[in-house]
Amino acid sequence: MEKLASIIIVIGTVLWLVSVLFLGGRWQWQMFAALVLTVGIFIAHFWEELSEGKKERTTKDDN
Amino acid sequence: MARERISQADEWQTWAQRYDIEGGVRTFESGLTVKVFFGALFVGLLMMPGSIYLSYVSGQSGAAAAPWVAVILFTELARRSFTTARRQELYMLLSLTGAAVGSGMQYRSFIWYAYFVNTPQAISYEIADKIPAWVVPAGDSAGVLTRSLLHPDWLLPIGIYLAGKFLGTLRVVSGQYILFRLTADLERLPYPMAPITAQGATALAETTGKQETWRWQVFSIGSMAGLIWGFIYIGVPALSGVMMSQPIQILKIPWIDFTQSIEGFAPTGVFALRTDFGQMLFGFVLPFPVVMSEFVTAMLSQFVLNPHILYPNEILHQWHPGSDVRATVLFNGLDFWRSYDIGKTFTLGLVGMAASVPMLFKLRKTQKKAGERGSLATPPNRGDFPLWLMGILWLIGMGGFVWLIHWMVPNFPVSFLLGFAFVYTPINSYITARTFGVLGRDLFEIPYLHEITFILSRYEEIDIWFAPLPDEDYGAGTQGWRVLELTGTTFTSNLAATLLIMPILIISGILVQHFIWQIAPIPSAQYPFVQMMWPINATNECLMKTSLRDGNSEIIQAIRGDYVAAGFTSSLAIYGMLWVLKYPSMWFYGIIGGIGADPGSMVARLLGAIIGRFYMIKRFGLKRWFMFNPVLAAGFACGVGLIGMGTVAIALVSKAVIVKPF
Repeated sequence: MEKLASIIIVIGTVLWLVSVLFLGGRWQWQMFAALVLTVGIFIAHFWEELSEGKKERTTKDDN
Repeated sequence: MARERISQADEWQTWAQRYDIEGGVRTFESGLTVKVFFGALFVGLLMMPGSIYLSYVSGQSGAAAAPWVAVILFTELARRSFTTARRQELYMLLSLTGAAVGSGMQYRSFIWYAYFVNTPQAISYEIADKIPAWVVPAGDSAGVLTRSLLHPDWLLPIGIYLAGKFLGTLRVVSGQYILFRLTADLERLPYPMAPITAQGATALAETTGKQETWRWQVFSIGSMAGLIWGFIYIGVPALSGVMMSQPIQILKIPWIDFTQSIEGFAPTGVFALRTDFGQMLFGFVLPFPVVMSEFVTAMLSQFVLNPHILYPNEILHQWHPGSDVRATVLFNGLDFWRSYDIGKTFTLGLVGMAASVPMLFKLRKTQKKAGERGSLATPPNRGDFPLWLMGILWLIGMGGFVWLIHWMVPNFPVSFLLGFAFVYTPINSYITARTFGVLGRDLFEIPYLHEITFILSRYEEIDIWFAPLPDEDYGAGTQGWRVLELTGTTFTSNLAATLLIMPILIISGILVQHFIWQIAPIPSAQYPFVQMMWPINATNECLMKTSLRDGNSEIIQAIRGDYVAAGFTSSLAIYGMLWVLKYPSMWFYGIIGGIGADPGSMVARLLGAIIGRFYMIKRFGLKRWFMFNPVLAAGFACGVGLIGMGTVAIALVSKAVIVKPF
């Protein structure tokens, strides 16, 4: 699922760049890219929250 | 080296752990005593005039100082009386003094609309004569012209405000409490940011013991820095303004504008250095990636994107050489950035939803598996209320509020009001309460909800723009109940204190605001911040309030679908790619905050972040530095607040003196 989400997000990003650089930035194409990105982001978060067997860890505080 | 993926919840909880206090308190006592009540009232009302005055002079109220002054006085008195101050008392003192000092600000909108109704902008946009009488009296009324909030002309606006305040208290207290019981008791969410607030009272309660701790030292350093800075930034202009028609400003308030200086190599770029270096303290506290990414993105926006991509392609076309920061921001906004920002805001809503919806699913799953959550049983002696009673109070408060709005705007469809009140508000509040419980901040917000509602309702009168709508969010307030729990303060004592102090603050707030208005017109040279900002705000308010009129307003024409889509999709792409590359979500909030923004407004914050990260943490250690931070910030706010209080006292006295010509 993680890979699927990543691939969808990358495709969405490329689609948006193409829509801006080669399709005149028309809002219809941009919103299509947004739809793809939204699907990818939702999959990513569902995977993150619901994935089984997530290892217990202490997050590194590197900020 | 491959990065490890961390969820948003993990990321923000780790951040919150820097401020964590040991465990939590599970014995509850009342924090309300006679000495706390009168102590809070004394300090709060003493500092309230200074706070209001400061907000007009420098844009910041300095209200944060008052609670700390009260606590210091209280703890010192306790030490000299060979007694101790309990943490419940100190927390109550902090919260009551905060309420007292902030009470004058609740009437600020009256001063604003008294100015707005007579602005050339409101007149030229043809809304000056359409502002309802329950917002502000007519522009030529005696109440406005004589600058008197005590004039009978103000009875209706103040009466409506007070009715709303009463109903609001019913709704907010009951709504927050019900949600707190659901999220903290039933779901056992951690509320990771609550310990930060609780730490203040906990820390200073220790100082009434026999040993002096590092906290006094840090607080004193902060206070001295605040006094010096406050004198330079606020004291000199305010005091010279008393004696001269044009105040002396050592550092120009609120910024030094370099926009015209950079137009040679960065046309359409904006750089106005914000001179409020008190912002450095925010840099100490904020996550470093947020501050850094915000600044870098803002620099790229103003020095690359605006001048070398958007301007040559004639996307930014209204700008002309010689424009200052205000004109450049206005032109760039109308040409591109306003549309882009709308799209960006939608992304924040969508990203928040994407993060919070899976949490709801996770909760159901965890409940089934662990079975440890799901009990509404309360800790003994916490001072809880029956849920049914709170439910009834909320229904009365919300029902009354809907009726009040219907009375104010009788032709606006009631179905929208009922939908907001009884469907949207509970759902929205619950989602926010959950995100506060897990992340300590709000994620879910539907942007431009009011504007969308007005379009859907086909209601064209301008009065609806001035009316409140019952789309509320009690989620953030649930954290306050958690802080009460952490400090061991009974809920009943907190509620009693709030209700006792409210009538006093309502009256004193009006009186103080009235007297400050009497000193000089607001805005005027006496109040440099509002003199600079309010005309811009008036233009923006006119643009916003007429945005849906006739379907062809300036702002509607400025909004372009392709630019909104660009803002929406590019922000989604940034968020998505940061997730793919396993960067923390903090970077996203920094980048989004910086796109299109003025980097000059972030310099002080950046300096603070750099000093904190590369010197202070190394010098004191991470944990210790973040223990110092809240106390240092409190000391600084206290120093600035004292200067503000002193200058307003001198200004008030000088205005009260009548100079005879002989």
